[in-house]
Amino acid sequence: MTVMRDKVVKDLVNITVTHDQDGLIPNFNVLVNQLPTSFWNTFAERIIATCPADRKPALEAALIQCAYECGYHTGYGIITSQEFKSVVMPMVTEGPKDVLRGAFAVFTAWGWAKSGIVQIVEGEKMTIRATDYYEADDAKGSDKHAYMIRGISTAFFELAYSDPYPNGMGKFQCEQVKGIECGDPFGEFIVTKK
Amino acid sequence: MTLELKHSFDDKTYRHFLNGFNIVLHCHHYMCLTTKLAEDFNDIGGTRILTETAEDTIRPIFDEYAKTHAIAPGDARLKMAAEFYSAMGLGRMDTSGTANAGNVTLQKSHIDQGWVKKWGNNTKPINHFTRGYIAAMFAAAFDKPARSYMVTETEAIVTGKPASAFAIVKQ
Repeated sequence: MTVMRDKVVKDLVNITVTHDQDGLIPNFNVLVNQLPTSFWNTFAERIIATCPADRKPALEAALIQCAYECGYHTGYGIITSQEFKSVVMPMVTEGPKDVLRGAFAVFTAWGWAKSGIVQIVEGEKMTIRATDYYEADDAKGSDKHAYMIRGISTAFFELAYSDPYPNGMGKFQCEQVKGIECGDPFGEFIVTKK
Repeated sequence: MTLELKHSFDDKTYRHFLNGFNIVLHCHHYMCLTTKLAEDFNDIGGTRILTETAEDTIRPIFDEYAKTHAIAPGDARLKMAAEFYSAMGLGRMDTSGTANAGNVTLQKSHIDQGWVKKWGNNTKPINHFTRGYIAAMFAAAFDKPARSYMVTETEAIVTGKPASAFAIVKQ
């Protein structure tokens, strides 16, 4: 047995996300929010459109960094959570590789991207493919702009194969090689060592 | 008022919907880092862009709900929007006002508490998202176009105050 993404997704989406009496959603050791995808996409689109060309690389790196830090800390919260232990861990038979598969199933369940791992070279390289992701909505032009997926994919790989949390950051990077937003049938993301 | 919230999940795309609007789960790290990014790029209008984006992308949710449920303009719509704030996990909001001016208090705040959890207190308010959210809620409540209200954060949990306060004035 290995981690079956679709089963994990279906089990996790049945866990209702509701706020407490303070209007907060504490879960996975973080405070969760649920906002329209249009907010995240429109913010990225507008700030990039406003940015001078010479500062665009720094802005794109900052957008990736937002997701990377989020993915590292929230990812750790996810893989150490009771929900992960009860839903995913019974299917884990291949160590870190399966934990990573489970983390991407949660990634999918949260609505980030319908995604999965297509190749892992343990501790070295990972290829992710996403057949639907909100960052591709309202795409115009040829630029790949799935900053959130790039950041989170890097973070999850580091949680699996870098130094133990919280000392494993900064070892890997992720490149987007295909994007639905620029006409490809799916998005593809490759994580490698820096 | 208790909102009628319909959560759904699309089995083909694996996307979440709240009352028909595509939503996504994220955490306080992502929201606070995005806020910090807006501040770091404020010389190109980062915080203004964040505030206006919140106003423009949250407003359709209010308009759709008010229309579908026949919520009358005014206080009932302000209360509706305050309940959405909690439903989205953003905190607990008290609100009052007219078409010309108003006040909002946050007893709890995802963004402020998330920021404090991540970096500690800040010397000035940072809740640019909520300024836009409030602009949308007043504009929806009183049937005004976008950018009708100027929202100022006058006190902030992130600076160490027990609650955040916002003053709203029609522009």
